[in-house]
Amino acid sequence: MALVNIIDVWREYRMGGSEPVAALRGATLAIEAGEFTCLLGKSGSGKSTLMNLIGGLDRPTRGSIEVDGRELSKMSARELSFYRREKIGFVFQSFNLVGSMRAWENVSLPLVFAGVSRTERKKRAEEMLERVGLARRHDHKPTQLSGGEQQRVAFARALISHPTILLGDEPTGNLDSATSEQIMALMVEENRRGTTIIMVTHDPELAERYASRTVRMADGTVVGDVRRDLVLAKDAK
Amino acid sequence: MIGLALGGLLRKKGRNTLTMLGVFIGVFALTMIISLGQGLMEVITGTVSGDDNLRQISLLPGFGIKQNDKPEEITIEGEMSERRRERLRRAAIARSQLRQTASGQSLRLTEDSFTELRKLPHVQSIKPLIIKRYQVDFDGHHSDGTQTFGIDYARRHPEQRVIAGRYPSANDAEEVLVHEYLLYTWGYVTEQQAASVVGKTLKISSVKGSGDDNPFQMAEMTPQDLQAAFKDMKLSEEELAAALTLSRRLPEILAKLRGGEQRKSVAIKRELKIVGVMRESEAGDRFNLLEDGQSTQADLFFPEGLADKLLRESAGGGELTYQRALVMVDDPANAEDVEQKLRDKGYTAFSVATVLKRLESSLTVVTVILSFLTGIALIVATLGIVNTMITSVIERTREIGVWKAVGATNTQVQLVFLIESALIGLIGGLLGLGIAALAMLPGDIIARNLIAQRTSFPYEGSVFIMPIWLQLTGPALGTMVAVLAAIYPARRASRVDPVTALRHD
Repeated sequence: MALVNIIDVWREYRMGGSEPVAALRGATLAIEAGEFTCLLGKSGSGKSTLMNLIGGLDRPTRGSIEVDGRELSKMSARELSFYRREKIGFVFQSFNLVGSMRAWENVSLPLVFAGVSRTERKKRAEEMLERVGLARRHDHKPTQLSGGEQQRVAFARALISHPTILLGDEPTGNLDSATSEQIMALMVEENRRGTTIIMVTHDPELAERYASRTVRMADGTVVGDVRRDLVLAKDAK
Repeated sequence: MIGLALGGLLRKKGRNTLTMLGVFIGVFALTMIISLGQGLMEVITGTVSGDDNLRQISLLPGFGIKQNDKPEEITIEGEMSERRRERLRRAAIARSQLRQTASGQSLRLTEDSFTELRKLPHVQSIKPLIIKRYQVDFDGHHSDGTQTFGIDYARRHPEQRVIAGRYPSANDAEEVLVHEYLLYTWGYVTEQQAASVVGKTLKISSVKGSGDDNPFQMAEMTPQDLQAAFKDMKLSEEELAAALTLSRRLPEILAKLRGGEQRKSVAIKRELKIVGVMRESEAGDRFNLLEDGQSTQADLFFPEGLADKLLRESAGGGELTYQRALVMVDDPANAEDVEQKLRDKGYTAFSVATVLKRLESSLTVVTVILSFLTGIALIVATLGIVNTMITSVIERTREIGVWKAVGATNTQVQLVFLIESALIGLIGGLLGLGIAALAMLPGDIIARNLIAQRTSFPYEGSVFIMPIWLQLTGPALGTMVAVLAAIYPARRASRVDPVTALRHD
């Protein structure tokens, strides 16, 4: 059984009481554990909406999303919070770091809500920062860091709870190509550790270079699905 | 989570400080008012609760019994307009409040009445207070109508105030204590000069024509005086003779009509030895309002036995009536009850306990009303907190989205804002309490000066009292109010949609 099972999922938004607008129109997709999947599509294709649904930030209007054997649409708000806390790590295009917090504090934020002690939080955050190559930057505020560094902090934050699935919403969208490479390298590395990665992008080249699978989306449905074990094999050399 | 809340607080220091000041002002004012209320209560009770004050009742001659103490029960029967009924009812109430006795005569304080009243339950003792004016002659100084006071010899209360010489040697010793003020008016200015009078002798004599000695002064008028008085009335010879005879016996007749016996008055002259000098009372003296309080205008102090002996002599064997007596009850709790019984019998009576009770309840009412008014300051502060917290939630929408994305539950999101607000309230409350505690120092000085300037009773304690419960109430109230204020903003925070909040702009 697939790790993520999306069956005929619709997501409609009601804008000011007029006819509902559908962002997803019966999307169906199954993602296996350990895959590196890119959701490719133009703006408005529904790729971000699908990703938010997998991440438990949003609920489908109808259809079923099963992750790790559990139906997300049947979870309470509280259960969804725990699901996000334990299974999901998010990386966003605009980093979404908390400006008033130092790097290590941003990284350890998920642990705050998990009730981990400050000492333990700091220790684990520093380990994660070391892993993303920011060991010396742990006391810096986001404004004192470059874009790439900020995204690496965000990356460390996404991984600190050892999630099953790492979700990236255009994680390199705000970065130059060299910095993007670094971030993608981290993604690949994390994928090798066994984390399932689902990344939204509109850049076909990026998908082709790093992802093991490219899912094309248009008008709220899946319109193409290509698996490429080659990419991983090439990179693994 | 506390860290997140603190972070929120520290980010907007200025705004949060201003919000907190609102709580501070509310808690400060409330703490001041309540502690002043408590303190004043303590000033009052502290001043009077010692030395049997609450067990004593002042007893005075009465003017009879009220016919009806319950005006609300008076009704007017019969067929009439409501307006007329209301008029008659008011008239009936006015008349019902006339004090009347069966015999139409006022109730006097006599030894017989004491004997009767001693039988009342809870009454431990009744003794007359003897306050009487005499003329005093000493060493070339003369003083008309000097007030003298019979001190409770056995209780030795005034002994603490003897600054030269000694306390009288026996209850009926012909010895007297002189107040330092009388000596001062006589020119004994320094303490040494005042002390020099000890051992000397002074003369006292009855005040001539004094009302309290001789209620029927006509008895002392000469026939010439009377004739002069009747001259304008154009009386015939027989009428004049009859009037003269009648007026000579008038006191006797009046006394008969009033149901009493004529009081004879005997002039008294006595030489008494000055054994000591008495000072004015000071803060910390044992002081009884109803007893020592009656002697604040007295210049000479006799032992009680001597005062009584002089009073009896001046009555010349007639019935003794007293102007004032002191009733002691067995327990302060019964004072009000006994006081009411004395009033029911037609006497005038009042006790410190009853006055205190009334004062306490009116002070409580005033404190409660003021507290409510001050509460308005806290309500305004609450609105300020609501405003600040809503602003904070709006500013941190994206951050809230992040919290949710990394697994914060709605409850946790709410908690962050509740804690943030609680901290504002707590700090404001603690500050209010602290500043109030500091403000009490100058407050006390001002209050003590006011008391010292306006009353003859000095006070050295604090007029502010902050019991533990009040110290806890300030910060607790501030925190509670702040938490309540944050409920709506916190709910709003928990309803933030993470997808919208995190959308890349």
